[in-house]
Amino acid sequence: MPVSNSLRSLLPVLILLVLFALVPLLSPSNRFLSLAISAGINVIALYGLSVLFGQTGILSMGHAALVGIGAYTAAIVARDFNVGFWLSIPLAGIMAAIVAALIGVPSLRVSGHHFVIMTFAFGQLLSIILTNGGDYTGAASGLDVQQPVALFGLSMDVLTHYYLMVVSFVALSAIASWAIINSRYGRTLRAIRENEKLAASLGINVGRHKIGAFVVSGIFAGVSGVLLAYFLRHISPSQFASFPSIYLALMVMIGGARLLLGPLAGGILVAFLPELLNLDPVQSRILYGVCLIAVILLLPNGLIAGIVAGWYRFFDRRPVQPNEPAVEREGK
Amino acid sequence: MGALLDIKGLRKEFGGVTALAGVDLTVNEGEILGVVGPNGSGKTTLFNCVTGVHKPTAGTVSWRGRDLTGIPANAVSRAGIAYTFQQAMAFTGLSVFENVQIATEHCSNTLANFPWTTPASLLEFVGLSGLSEEKAGILPFGRLRLLGLALALATRPSLILLDEPAAGLNDRETTTLVHLVEQFPEHGISVCVIDHDMKLMQMLCRRLAVLDFGSKIADGPTADVLNDPKVLEVYLGGAL
Repeated sequence: MPVSNSLRSLLPVLILLVLFALVPLLSPSNRFLSLAISAGINVIALYGLSVLFGQTGILSMGHAALVGIGAYTAAIVARDFNVGFWLSIPLAGIMAAIVAALIGVPSLRVSGHHFVIMTFAFGQLLSIILTNGGDYTGAASGLDVQQPVALFGLSMDVLTHYYLMVVSFVALSAIASWAIINSRYGRTLRAIRENEKLAASLGINVGRHKIGAFVVSGIFAGVSGVLLAYFLRHISPSQFASFPSIYLALMVMIGGARLLLGPLAGGILVAFLPELLNLDPVQSRILYGVCLIAVILLLPNGLIAGIVAGWYRFFDRRPVQPNEPAVEREGK
Repeated sequence: MGALLDIKGLRKEFGGVTALAGVDLTVNEGEILGVVGPNGSGKTTLFNCVTGVHKPTAGTVSWRGRDLTGIPANAVSRAGIAYTFQQAMAFTGLSVFENVQIATEHCSNTLANFPWTTPASLLEFVGLSGLSEEKAGILPFGRLRLLGLALALATRPSLILLDEPAAGLNDRETTTLVHLVEQFPEHGISVCVIDHDMKLMQMLCRRLAVLDFGSKIADGPTADVLNDPKVLEVYLGGAL
């Protein structure tokens, strides 16, 4: 794909993010900014998940655990070694990558639904470990994060500043995800998603690349965990248990994992929909479930892909392909 | 004309079923060898045991004197053996160009005077240049087969194994395929093809091996094999 062509997929995301960066000029409420920050932190993890799910075709139902690894790494290195926000970002990324590899090596020996169950189990396992970690992990009550965050002498603890910082991190993860999608590596992952057997026959080491994709998505998750820990200032095991994991998977499915706008749309929608419709947590869970079923049945590639397809159907009057459709094209 | 691929005593059992009962087969450098046999005679299992899809129960597969028995599929490709599948021919969700691009990017073999080193040249060779931006999934069956051939070719193999390459093709498409495959040996690519289509085999192969119930019952020049009474009996049901 020529660069100009692939840039077209990145540009709308960057334009949107620039617009989001202008939102503080409208002096939004603190409530709005907090919601937006949480959404942005999720979107960073979602960009990693989109590499895993959208490109490689592997779904992780334990992804919040990797976010948790990032958050706890940040909290623990801050407490024990007085390491600040910026240095804890690479540290958390590396830790989450290592844990992803440790989970990935045994889990990716199985595929499909079995892998989903394995990741779910590992996610649960992590929250059990954190709960029983004694003083080291702060047990069920969790850990506080007290280090201040500053950039060039500017305090990031002001909500507006933190918001802008998260928007920048979202932009960086979108660019990273875009770079992966349009690289040789991204194509390799797509080949595995499309057909593992055929990919192997072309010399691709399927197992190693699947673990690699899981590790890459873990790095995104780890970074988003640091942002979460420093935003909330307090983390506890329940934040990284099964429900947050399911939400992450849900967001990436609703938004659509293959297109660059998908994670952004999914993260924002799931964060703001209950607020807009004024729903309580139980009602919003029901709504998410309904959304998920609707998306799976009606727009299997996610909301954004559905909108794009609808747009083309409406405006693009290309003649129908002269070729007859392949009779039996699915690999067995 | 040395032996490129040397299969000795290859056995494969699935539970109690013996799919291959000790097969010996040699593919020589520069030849197009055909393997025929009725349904269930073990042709595809033979390929699968060579290409790392199945691990053989017993026997050895040696490749230029190197033991390849039971190595994984991606390592087989890196050793210089390519193969096409009956069903999964291409990455249907990706564009035609991207399909060939992926295959080219992962090629780790070197082959002197290999003429198709770029995705564009491969697509031109199989006649899909005009469709490179299309999604592979919308290609008609015959074209999808040609794309599968291009993918196998992109790995710059010294040997291509073709599993029923003409299944589902009409006469014109089959002729196109034969025309392409015939050019392989002159570029240093040997071919081993399995198919039911005797017409195809007669067009392509000078040598035929016949499998029946997992055993080889004939191996020799195509004309001789087709007149072998044993072959006529098991494969063609008595008379040609």
